[in-house]
Amino acid sequence: MDEVEIKKLVDEVFVEAFEIEPAQLRSEMRIFEELGIDSLDIVDLVVALQKKFKIQIRDDERVRKIRTLGDIYNFILTLKSETHFS
Amino acid sequence: MKRVVITGRGVVSPFGSNLTSLMDGLEKSKSGVARMPGWEEYKGLNSLVGAPAELKGENAFPRKIRRSMGRLSVFAALAAKQAAEESKIEEGLLKSRRLGCIMGSTMGSAEAMNEAFEIMLPNHDLSQLSSMGFFKCVSHTAAMNVAQALGVRGYVMATSAACASSLQALGLGYELIRSGRQDVLLCGGAEELHPIVTGIFEILFATSTHFNDNAWLTPRPFDERRDGLVCGEGAGVLVLEDYEHARQRGADIYGEIAGYSTCASGTHLSESSREGMRACMDNAIQDSGLKPEQVDYISAHATATIQGDQAEAEAIRDIFGDRVPVSGMKGYIGHTLGASGAIELAASLEMMSRGIIYPTLNLEDVDASCSGIAHVQTPLEKEIKVVVKNSFAFGGINTVLVCKKLDAY
Repeated sequence: MDEVEIKKLVDEVFVEAFEIEPAQLRSEMRIFEELGIDSLDIVDLVVALQKKFKIQIRDDERVRKIRTLGDIYNFILTLKSETHFS
Repeated sequence: MKRVVITGRGVVSPFGSNLTSLMDGLEKSKSGVARMPGWEEYKGLNSLVGAPAELKGENAFPRKIRRSMGRLSVFAALAAKQAAEESKIEEGLLKSRRLGCIMGSTMGSAEAMNEAFEIMLPNHDLSQLSSMGFFKCVSHTAAMNVAQALGVRGYVMATSAACASSLQALGLGYELIRSGRQDVLLCGGAEELHPIVTGIFEILFATSTHFNDNAWLTPRPFDERRDGLVCGEGAGVLVLEDYEHARQRGADIYGEIAGYSTCASGTHLSESSREGMRACMDNAIQDSGLKPEQVDYISAHATATIQGDQAEAEAIRDIFGDRVPVSGMKGYIGHTLGASGAIELAASLEMMSRGIIYPTLNLEDVDASCSGIAHVQTPLEKEIKVVVKNSFAFGGINTVLVCKKLDAY
């Protein structure tokens, strides 16, 4: 799974779970202020990412530092390098 | 004490997403009951019939409002929105601390509960559960979602007494407005159809099981061939308002709540009590200051269970004899459980306005145990000034509301 594929799958989560227009899905977008994600959505974002990438991140402290869409792409990329998930 | 009037009505039923479609179904003697596809996959479920409502219109609410709604909360919010619109409640009033909502249901969303258990139980894994499970499954899901959807800021309460839930919501609303605590309350209830809900009643031998292949013939309230209830779904919401408040803002008035009672039978969890039902009707009529002979129509609970229909017919006979027309609506739309009291009251008020009583659908041969009361078996044109609405629930809970035409007495 390369970076392009990861971005595509993360973007799918935002479209499917949070009804966000694909045109808004740019790396620099702040997920709370600009994409309208709130404290409850974060729980569902984690669940959706876990399902999409078949990973467990609920208890990963790095989730709390996510601010932008790019942070999510990078977090998943980092996980990939750590765990070599496919 | 303040007078309490009804200034708006909203309904989602198996006949459609408004009161007009419900009345059209009653007028044309339609049945909303159908054989439910896929239900035969449930072992031990012999009642394969239900009265489903179409889920549509939820996109009227933005995602952050919609995300916490199970099926029943969507129905509730749509019905509440209709009722508020019919009542012409302006934004300022809607968001004032003097307007609240009280919504009842048997429980939270059955579909959401089922989904949560299916995710969690195979591996006892909580990590895949959505944040929205709580908001869909809790007992006050309809009340909280209606409040969120409409921006309500006054009282928000949930009544949960199974089949009496929405009539208790209306009764509680009546008491809160009568005592001056709130000026306006959106009151009612909602329920959703799901095989586990029908299954709960099936376990108690309370469901209809002999009409799977001709579903439109069941349920059969008060009939010799009745064999149990059929679950339905939908929502009913009425706007209750302080009479002076309604007059000041020029609201249309569809009726006045004259009396209310809720009481326990105190005898058995599931066996209906003639004495308990009779006491509840007596108390509600006494509360209204009216006399039994002034009642023009009784909208019966009449679920088509063997015992429940008999006890209700006996209790009605004890008070009214065969003088007052009686009909029930569950032959048309099934038993919408926590929503039934409000849906059926909304229809009864419309019958009051039209001067017609629609008959009990599927009542062909009155069972001897249910005789001695004035069953309505064909449409009956009649001036209706006073309506008695009954709702009775498992747990030995009785609830009766008395409504009258404005200034009738």
